[in-house]
Amino acid sequence: MSFKTYVAQRLLWTVFATFIIVSITFLLLAASPNAQVSQFAFEAAQNPGTSAEEAREAARQRLGTNQPLWERYTEYMINMFTLNWGYSQSGGGQLVTERILNALPYTALYSVPTTILSVIIGVSIGLYSATNQYSRFDYAATFFAFFGYAIPNFWFGIILLVIFGAWLGWVPIIFQPDVPWLSFEMLKQLILPVIVLVTAQTTGLMRYSRAEALEYVEAEFLKTAKAKGVSSYRVITRHIFRPAAVPLMTILISDLLGLFIASSLLVEVVFSIPGLGRLTFNAILQQDTPLVLSTTLVGVMIAVFGNLLQDISYTVLDPRISYDSRE
Amino acid sequence: MATDTDPDRIERFEDIDWQATEMRGGLSAVSRKAFGLLLTLAAVCVFFLYDYYLVRKRKPTVPVIEWDVSQVDWMFMVTLAVIFFYVLLPLYENPRMTRYYWREFRKNRAAVFSGGFLLFVFGTGLVGPLLLPKPEIALELGYQPPVFTSVSNNYPIQCVGEAANGRCFGTFQHPLGTTGRGKDIFRLIVYGMTVSMQIGLITGLIIITIGTIVGAVAAYVGGLADEVLMRYVDIQLTFPTFLLYLLLIYLFGQSLFMFILVFGVTSWGLIARLVRSEALQRTEEEYITAAQSAGAPNLYVIWRHILPNVSSTVITAVTLLIPSLLLYEAGLAFLQLGDPSIPSWGQVISAGRSDLSFAWWISTVPGVFLFFTILAFNFIGDALRDALDPRQTTQE
Repeated sequence: MSFKTYVAQRLLWTVFATFIIVSITFLLLAASPNAQVSQFAFEAAQNPGTSAEEAREAARQRLGTNQPLWERYTEYMINMFTLNWGYSQSGGGQLVTERILNALPYTALYSVPTTILSVIIGVSIGLYSATNQYSRFDYAATFFAFFGYAIPNFWFGIILLVIFGAWLGWVPIIFQPDVPWLSFEMLKQLILPVIVLVTAQTTGLMRYSRAEALEYVEAEFLKTAKAKGVSSYRVITRHIFRPAAVPLMTILISDLLGLFIASSLLVEVVFSIPGLGRLTFNAILQQDTPLVLSTTLVGVMIAVFGNLLQDISYTVLDPRISYDSRE
Repeated sequence: MATDTDPDRIERFEDIDWQATEMRGGLSAVSRKAFGLLLTLAAVCVFFLYDYYLVRKRKPTVPVIEWDVSQVDWMFMVTLAVIFFYVLLPLYENPRMTRYYWREFRKNRAAVFSGGFLLFVFGTGLVGPLLLPKPEIALELGYQPPVFTSVSNNYPIQCVGEAANGRCFGTFQHPLGTTGRGKDIFRLIVYGMTVSMQIGLITGLIIITIGTIVGAVAAYVGGLADEVLMRYVDIQLTFPTFLLYLLLIYLFGQSLFMFILVFGVTSWGLIARLVRSEALQRTEEEYITAAQSAGAPNLYVIWRHILPNVSSTVITAVTLLIPSLLLYEAGLAFLQLGDPSIPSWGQVISAGRSDLSFAWWISTVPGVFLFFTILAFNFIGDALRDALDPRQTTQE
C-alpha cells in the first residue's frame, strides 16, 4: 500500500467516524425526554383558551418533532454538515457558529502559550532525568510529575487565585476580556491559568519522554558517541532526542487535544475566561440546546481530526512503520 | 483474578487444583467460587425484587437503619461480592502466591503507604456512614474553624468553641471545621470516601468486565468480529467521554448512577485493546496448543489460560484509570453538574470556593484528601505493574 492510499483510507475512515458520531448525537436528542417541549407547552398553556394537549401539539410543531424520525434525521445531518447550526437561544438570537468563533480566540490565548511551554519544559526535563537516572534531580522531577497529575486542576487554580489574587493582589481575580492582547495586563491575567495547565500538561510529557529516552540511553550508538568524545549536550539533542521524538510526537497531539476538552472547561470557569469551555458550560446552564450540541461537536471534531493527524504523522516520521498493519 | 495459576511459575504437586482439573469437560460443572458468587447475586436479586415490588417508593428498604437502597448501592453490593469471591477468596486460598505478591509489593515503600491509605479510605467509607449520622445543614453553626486553628469572630454566627481576642477557636466537636451552611466537614469527608470508593470500584468493575470480554473475543474469534469490535473501539476512544457525559446530563439529568454508567460503559476501549494484543500473544504459546489438543473447549481455554494471563495487565491499567475518573467526578461536582444529593469531595470543594479567602479549610480539606487518594492510586498502579508481572521490567 502506498502512502497516498493509506492517507486516503484514513481520511475516509475519519469521515465515516464523524458520520457515526453525529448520528449518535441525533439518537440521543431524539431519545431524551424533551425538556423544550414541556417548556413550550407550558408557555402556550398560559394563554387562555388552549388546552394542554393543543399546547403540546403546537410546541411539537414549532420544534418539528411531529415529523417522522427519518425526515428529521436527514434534515439534522444536512444541517450539521453544512454548518447550519441554528441560532443560540440564550445569546439574543446570535448564530451559534458566530458565538463559537467569538469564543475560540480566548481559548487560543492561553492554550498556545501553554502548549509551547509544556512541550519545552516537559521534554527537556524528561530527557535530562533519563540521562541522569536516579539522581536527585530525577527524583525531584518524578515527584513533580506525580504532584502535577494528582492535584485537581480547578482546585489548584482557585488556591492560586486566592493567594495571588485576593491576598497579594498581584493578579486580577476576574479575567478582563477587553484588555489589549499584547499588553502587560493581559500577560498578568494569563499567568495563573497557564501555570495551572502547564503543571497538568508537563506531567504526561515528562514521564513519557523520560521512558522513551531511557530506551536509547543504553544503546550501542550512544556508547560509540561517548567514546568518540561527543559532548553530552550533543548526545542528548542528536542521539537521544531524534529517535525518541517520533513516539513523543504522537502522544503530544492526543495529550494536547485533551487540554482543549476537559481541562479547558474547568480552567475557563475558574478564571472566568470567555472561551470555548465556558461557552459550553453556560450553554448547559441556560438550557441552550443548539449551542450545547454544537460546542460538544466542535470538541469531538477536534478529537477526531487530531487522531487522524496523529496516525499520519506517525507514518511520516517513522519509516519503519508499514501502512498495512494497523497495530 | 490475579491469583489464578501463573504458568510461568513451577507448581508444586499440592498446588494442583483437582477440582478444576475434573471440570475439564467444559464449564458445565460450576466451580465453588462461581457458585458462591451466584448464590450471593441471587440473594441481592431477591432483596432487589423485594424492594422493587413490596416497598413503596421513597420508603426506606431497611426501616431499622433508615436505609433506602439506591441504584448505586445495588451496583456496589454486586461489586463487593465479585471482589470478595474473585480477589479476596483466591488470595486466602492460595497463601503461597499471596506471600509472593506481598514480598514483591513490599519492595515499593510508597506503594505500601498508598495501599494502607486506600484501605483506610475504603474501610472508613464502608463503615463510617453506618456509625456517623448524615451531615446536616445547621446555619447557626457555619464557618467553625478546624481544631487548633482560629478565625475572626466576624464570620461564624455562633462560636462552638472558645472565643477570645475577637477570634473563634476550633473544637473537637467539629475536628475539621464546618462549611458555610454548617455541615460538619469531618462527616462530609467520611461520606465522600464512600462515594469515591463507589465510583472507583463499580466503574472499574464495569470497565474490566466489558473490556476483557470484548478484547478476548476479538483476539480469539478474529475475522469480522475482531474488525468490527476494534473499529468500534477506535470510535469510542476518539469520542471524549467528558463531553459525552456533559451532553447526557444535559439531556437526561444528572445522577451518580448516570456518571458511573456513562464512564463505565464508554471507558473500556483502552482495556479491550490491551487485552486483545496480550491475548493474541498468549494464543501463540505452547500451553494453549497443549490445552486445545487435549480437547479443551474454547470457553475453557479463554477462562482458564488467557484471562489469568491478561489479568495483571488489566488490573494495572484499571488502577491507573480510576484516578482520572475521580478527577472527572470532582471536576463535574465543582461545575455543579454532579449529583447534588451526593456528598462527594468535589461538592465540598465547590461549596467552599467563594469563602476561600477567610474560611480556607472548607475547600482545602477535601482537596487534600482527593489529592492523596489520586496519588495513592497512581503509586499502587506503578507497584502493581512491577509486582504482578515478573516478565516486564519496569521502565522507571
